[in-house]
Amino acid sequence: MTGPGARAPDATRRDLLRALAAAGGAACAARLAGSATAIAEDVARPGEGVVAVEEGGLAPRPARWYRKLPEDWVQCGLCPHGCRISEGERGTCGVRENRKGSLFTLVHSRPCSVAVDPVEKKPLFHVLPGVPALSLATAGCNFACKACQNWEIAQARPEQVKSATLSPRGVAELARRHAAPLVACTYTEPTVWSEYVHDVAVAARSLGVRTVVVSNGSIQEEPLRDLAPLLAAYKVDLKGFREAFYRSHCEGELKPVLDTLRRLRRHGLWTEVVVLVIPTLNDSVEEIRDLSRFVRDELGPEVPVHFTRFHPAYRLTNLPSTPVATLERAHDVARGEGLRFVYLGNVPGHRAESTWCPGCGGLLVRRLGMALLENRLKKGACPDCGRAIPGVWS
Amino acid sequence: MTGTLDRRELLSRLATAALAASPLGRAAGALALPGPAPGRGSGPSRAVVAFARREGMVAAEGPAAGTVAVERLREALGAAVARAGDEATPVAALRRLFRPGDVVGIKLNCMGGRSLSPRPETVFALVRWLREAGVDPDRIIVWERTGRELRGAGFVLGSGPGVKVMGTDGDWEEKVREWGPSASRFSRLLVEDVTAVINLGVLKDHGLAGVSAGLKNWYGVVHNPNKLHAEGCAPYVPYLAASPLVNGKLRLTVVDAVTAQCHGGPGYAPSWAWPLEGFLATTDAVAADAVAWGLIEGRRREKGLRTLAAEGREPRFIAASERLGLGVADPRRIEVARV
Repeated sequence: MTGPGARAPDATRRDLLRALAAAGGAACAARLAGSATAIAEDVARPGEGVVAVEEGGLAPRPARWYRKLPEDWVQCGLCPHGCRISEGERGTCGVRENRKGSLFTLVHSRPCSVAVDPVEKKPLFHVLPGVPALSLATAGCNFACKACQNWEIAQARPEQVKSATLSPRGVAELARRHAAPLVACTYTEPTVWSEYVHDVAVAARSLGVRTVVVSNGSIQEEPLRDLAPLLAAYKVDLKGFREAFYRSHCEGELKPVLDTLRRLRRHGLWTEVVVLVIPTLNDSVEEIRDLSRFVRDELGPEVPVHFTRFHPAYRLTNLPSTPVATLERAHDVARGEGLRFVYLGNVPGHRAESTWCPGCGGLLVRRLGMALLENRLKKGACPDCGRAIPGVWS
Repeated sequence: MTGTLDRRELLSRLATAALAASPLGRAAGALALPGPAPGRGSGPSRAVVAFARREGMVAAEGPAAGTVAVERLREALGAAVARAGDEATPVAALRRLFRPGDVVGIKLNCMGGRSLSPRPETVFALVRWLREAGVDPDRIIVWERTGRELRGAGFVLGSGPGVKVMGTDGDWEEKVREWGPSASRFSRLLVEDVTAVINLGVLKDHGLAGVSAGLKNWYGVVHNPNKLHAEGCAPYVPYLAASPLVNGKLRLTVVDAVTAQCHGGPGYAPSWAWPLEGFLATTDAVAADAVAWGLIEGRRREKGLRTLAAEGREPRFIAASERLGLGVADPRRIEVARV
């Protein structure tokens, strides 16, 4: 491995202390998540359109993006599954229910996790470095990834998790209160709560707060078209680059995700790609090369790609953590294919956590774990050679 | 969550007492209970499914249209259960299938609401016979995924003393169990509380799986049924039914066909529902579904509907369940005993 990606843990003692401080912030965020109800009750206002919560914690609200079928069936149009749902049943996400021939979302304004994270945790490295992002999630996901780290909420139905009542306006106010210029829809799969994402983004915008989405990218064209103009950035978890892997380990499909990435580019929405590299499953040089070429040729070489380290989780506890050498190999392959911003994640202290100028090779943004240590960018450009660096910097 | 904790404590004591009173493994052997160890080719070679109908069970017209003549319902149910247990009476059959020390769960399927769910009268009859067979009412739990669904089908929830009627609601195991192609949290009612189960499903069409009768009802014991509907449920139903938690506790399958439905399911679709006025009962979980499938196809023919296979909804999970050794799927090896 050569260049900026070379492993050179150069964190100083001071860096370490700052990283620990950031970790402390994250710990605070975790506690915040644990007391989401209290936060919500603090900000929720009556008369804001939050529907009554039924026994069992469900708060049904008419869904968008579906069509009615004969016999009181409906077909959801939110994600590529296109679930056909009979009366009383739910889609594969578990949060959209057919009630007497109409589709309802059960999670609008019902987050099960609310926290303040650094934007680096998303990770979004080219979006307002170092700022806090009010991060929230409801229950539900349209995938069933065997390596899911948030499976307790992502693979649950809404009545199986504790949820707060938090209106879109409440989310925006909470972000302001925590001096967070971003709201991040994250942790589970925001696609399955798109109505809430939409309304949060509208409310946030009215208070000068921007919204970002952290998604698996498995969303149909129409809802994405409706959401994209409201968002500041979109991070896509590209699970791998083989259909077989998507089917066997995610219960999803690759092609629709690639379609979403292409659409995001057409929408002009800032996009970053994250790949969780799992030993033996999606870590071959060939697969990484194919993925890198796709990003380069169809999205552009300046789209950041993060290769993150897998640790055993959920149903994949039989595999070891990803060797750092494997990540470095992926980094080199991607760089070799011409990608300009390739990062490694979950490897604190690695040089590839930082942003380096593709023009002069100078350091632009120095990070350690989730902590921002230094931001040398000047109006979105390298302070040494003046090269413009793509991203959302102000 | 205090109520939940109280309920759990209560049920835990119950289960502990049940285990002390009933050496399950020995009981199962002594009773020659169904549920061979799953595995290709290890299932039974033949099966008997009792089918009891009583015309006039459901009032067809007049102000009482749709109401059920309870005596006829009990008569049909009793005849089916008795034959399933190869005894003269339902009480004798249940005495053969259950021990007084068992904690008996009656797993319902109530997603069809009042119109297409097991009726309370059906459950009352089973409970009564269980009691007469020696099962203490404190050891009987009538349960479904949620209390909401139970109420929607006309049941009144109750946590005892006496018979309990309750939803799993949030009471799922903390851990995730791998089973076949998927992984789930299981209902703690199933895992920790009941020691023997009557699976009481409904004979109806299912828009994705083809048929919902007995086997499909097990989707109600895991926390993530929404993840288990791809490919007509065929990859999932057999493995879930083969789980030791299910297969090891199932003693009797009863399929409620008082009102059945041949299309538009699993929700209630009145234009496709009909009063079949009967019950299926068997100790072979797969055979129950095979017979239910045949009945649905027959009704579909009468109504001019295409076969489920022609609609791409052939319930492939039934044959797949036989391949796992869970029972008999081939109608030629199933005796339908009309009683």
